[in-house]
Amino acid sequence: MTSTASQRALDYLEQLPGTTFTKLYQQPSTALAIFRRMLPHLAKTLVMAILYMPTPLSVSDLETWVKPDHESLQARDRALSILQRLRILFDTHDAAGRAAYKLSDAFARSLRLALTGGGNHRSFGVPCSTPDKTPVSIDYLDTFARKQWEAILYYVVGSASAGLGAEVDISAGTKQLLQKGEFVAMRGRTAHITQAGFTFLLQEINAQIWTLLIVYLEVSSSLQMDPVDVLSFLFTLGSLELGISYSTSNLTPTQQQMLEDLADFGLVYRRTSDDAADRYYPTRLATTLTSDAPALPNASLTSTATGMTTGGAGGASAPQNEKGYIIVETNYRLYAYTSSPLPISILSLFATLHTRYPNLITAKITKSSIHAAITAGITSDQIITYLTTHAHPILRRQQPVLPPTVVDQIRLWQIEGERMTAWRGYLIRDVGSAEEYEKAVAYAEALGVLRKEFKAKGSFFVTRMDQMSGYFKAQAVRKREAIAQREAEARGGGGGAGRK
Amino acid sequence: MNAVDATDRGAVQQDVEPPSLLTIILDTNPHAWALLADSLPLSKVVANLLVFINAHVAINHANRVAVIASHSERAEWLYPTPTQPRQQHDQANGATHDGDGERADVHPPNDANKYRPFAQLEHALVTNLRRLMTTTTAPSLSTSPATLLAGALTRALAYISKQTAALPTATTSTQFNYSDPSSSTAAGGNDLNTDPTKAHTTLGLTSRILVVSVSGDLADKYIEIMNAIFACQRLSIPIDVLKLAGDPVFLQQAADTTGGIYMHLATPQARAGFLQYLMFAYLPDQTARENLIMPAGEGEGVDFRAACFCHKRIVDVGFVCSICLSIFCEPLADGTCLLCGSHLSMGNYGRNPAVVPKRKKGKGKKRALDSGADTPAGSGGEGTPAPG
Repeated sequence: MTSTASQRALDYLEQLPGTTFTKLYQQPSTALAIFRRMLPHLAKTLVMAILYMPTPLSVSDLETWVKPDHESLQARDRALSILQRLRILFDTHDAAGRAAYKLSDAFARSLRLALTGGGNHRSFGVPCSTPDKTPVSIDYLDTFARKQWEAILYYVVGSASAGLGAEVDISAGTKQLLQKGEFVAMRGRTAHITQAGFTFLLQEINAQIWTLLIVYLEVSSSLQMDPVDVLSFLFTLGSLELGISYSTSNLTPTQQQMLEDLADFGLVYRRTSDDAADRYYPTRLATTLTSDAPALPNASLTSTATGMTTGGAGGASAPQNEKGYIIVETNYRLYAYTSSPLPISILSLFATLHTRYPNLITAKITKSSIHAAITAGITSDQIITYLTTHAHPILRRQQPVLPPTVVDQIRLWQIEGERMTAWRGYLIRDVGSAEEYEKAVAYAEALGVLRKEFKAKGSFFVTRMDQMSGYFKAQAVRKREAIAQREAEARGGGGGAGRK
Repeated sequence: MNAVDATDRGAVQQDVEPPSLLTIILDTNPHAWALLADSLPLSKVVANLLVFINAHVAINHANRVAVIASHSERAEWLYPTPTQPRQQHDQANGATHDGDGERADVHPPNDANKYRPFAQLEHALVTNLRRLMTTTTAPSLSTSPATLLAGALTRALAYISKQTAALPTATTSTQFNYSDPSSSTAAGGNDLNTDPTKAHTTLGLTSRILVVSVSGDLADKYIEIMNAIFACQRLSIPIDVLKLAGDPVFLQQAADTTGGIYMHLATPQARAGFLQYLMFAYLPDQTARENLIMPAGEGEGVDFRAACFCHKRIVDVGFVCSICLSIFCEPLADGTCLLCGSHLSMGNYGRNPAVVPKRKKGKGKKRALDSGADTPAGSGGEGTPAPG
């Protein structure tokens, strides 16, 4: 779901060096987008609380603010962890010398600018001052975006099963990008879908866009394109308004170059004729980049939010990606209200197709069909997520959405084949006293990095180490201070009392 | 390995926070603001409020906001800008987002330095506020020194229930046409159907009301305000109150009853930190409040006094009709309740209470009975009539 999309972007951002972050946060639109898109809810609240505070927020104040129950503490640790990973929050000391948190200066300044407006950063896009001679409607933009994006999907799917032609051909650059991202692998002259390709296909559309864009980012940095330029333009795109033309005048050369590629993906629309070359229209794919609600026209603050209603009635070219159309019954039968070859071919990856009617196909999920999918590299979770994301409104009325028997059986079919899962990670042992061990395990669990605990051996296994090592360092410092204090007390026992 | 059990089936869904609707009621009573002009002028409050609103909108893409001015003689929408007949037409057409965007018939200047939704919101709000101020006439001011909070609360409640109804029922109420599902959903016009995360009824809109209050003396509209408060309590909509001036009688009750936050910025120093108060205490929505310890109103210090129904006086001890529970500040002349018309008798009110001689072995039970006879509510003569 959306979390996978933001998780992917988060993973990418995290490995950027600190200076890149400082440069990124110079743009208010970037600060706003990262704030809105990447942070968990409590972290947002925290940032907003500190934003206009003149002094750092001391750690003890934060501790009194958050409820002491387990869930809240866990949410707090996770929020702090992500804030620090994104270089938004820093440890510091307040006037009294206590440990405290403060926001990154660049981030705070930009976010404040975003909230109040002003400055001269022009990061929210420069709208064209002159009206377009041939204005472009939102319907047209939606159709364009869908056509372009589906062409990419067709290319990936088409490499799985031949005979699926796309309406438009995708450019050589995009094809190369898909190979770089290892969504398809070239064998001879024909492209073959890979495991990553299946993962890509089964994601919901917003996650797909981010997945592709991150590949784009990785490739672009090898092409001497500044990742800061690329990223801040992406975040700017997310803050633009649908149906308005923007001027290319303030874009850097890198960003000009990006426009071409993004038009290939269907994120922006621009005409190539001379008189309109200096304006571009963001499509819905772009304007929903930084929203939590993917491809949903709920930009309720913009006056153009109703475009999708008409787009939905387009029959075969209806945006099947954005509407639930699958019904799964407890007897493993599957009905999909679609006539478009793209979803049908995706369904055929893990279900046995049965009958095809003008607007409906029936299929059945069987052991062999699931096994075939698993051999191709699709996981049961992907199948389940896909079915859930695209479940018909009728199914959505019930909770859980999919019949539990089917969900469990799909998982069981997968487990039959695999008896072992491998995780890359770190084994932590010799933590110290039992109490310290418990604390460390609880912290790891709160961060969500704990995989397995071997209580008897006093060791545990985590997937990420950077946060844990920070934790142990802090623990060690605290311990040393405590010892030093005890020693000081022991040395001057009488003196201590006298001071009081 | 142990992943297959019933427990982790629905766990994936809970990642997305429900959108939150913040309805701000800004008390624009000119009399009260005139008194505050030195320490915190209205213009500064509006500027700070705008930052606060932007922060709220920034937190979640689907977050919405509405601002109502509770003026001296009327309650007025500041945002979204109400438009008249056209809007109904839109709704009939199936436009679900009746809220913010379409109502705004005013367009701000294009500014590349400001996030467009923020700019639109700010422009609409300031324009409407200015219009409200210019249409306020001197005679209308002189007639009423108070503010129409009851009207504003009612408007807020109506708006909230409309927005809430538009969101979660989108999936349940749409009629499904088996023969052609794509046309059915398109004709129903509910774009919300398309979003898997919104479809959960558990993920409906969470709403709250923030009252920025400067005037005291709300006793005129006691009944209306209390009704609005109880409606909020039922719908579990917290009413947060930020009091800048005036006496706090009913609003404190409002916050206490609905589980909202009540704060009184009494000193100029406290008022100077208006924005920080907003950002720290009032910005967290219900989802965040589950994890945070919110500034509690002074639990025991809540003023629970009521206003009488006959003279709108605030009373410590009053007379309550045993049938309809109306409150009166003095005994009724002919013993007939002004509201429900029931005939009531006063029992032994006014007489000196019979002093029961203190007994050594008198236990608590006995004493309770005795004291019960002394209160006017236990009007001995009639007993409680059966309803209907």
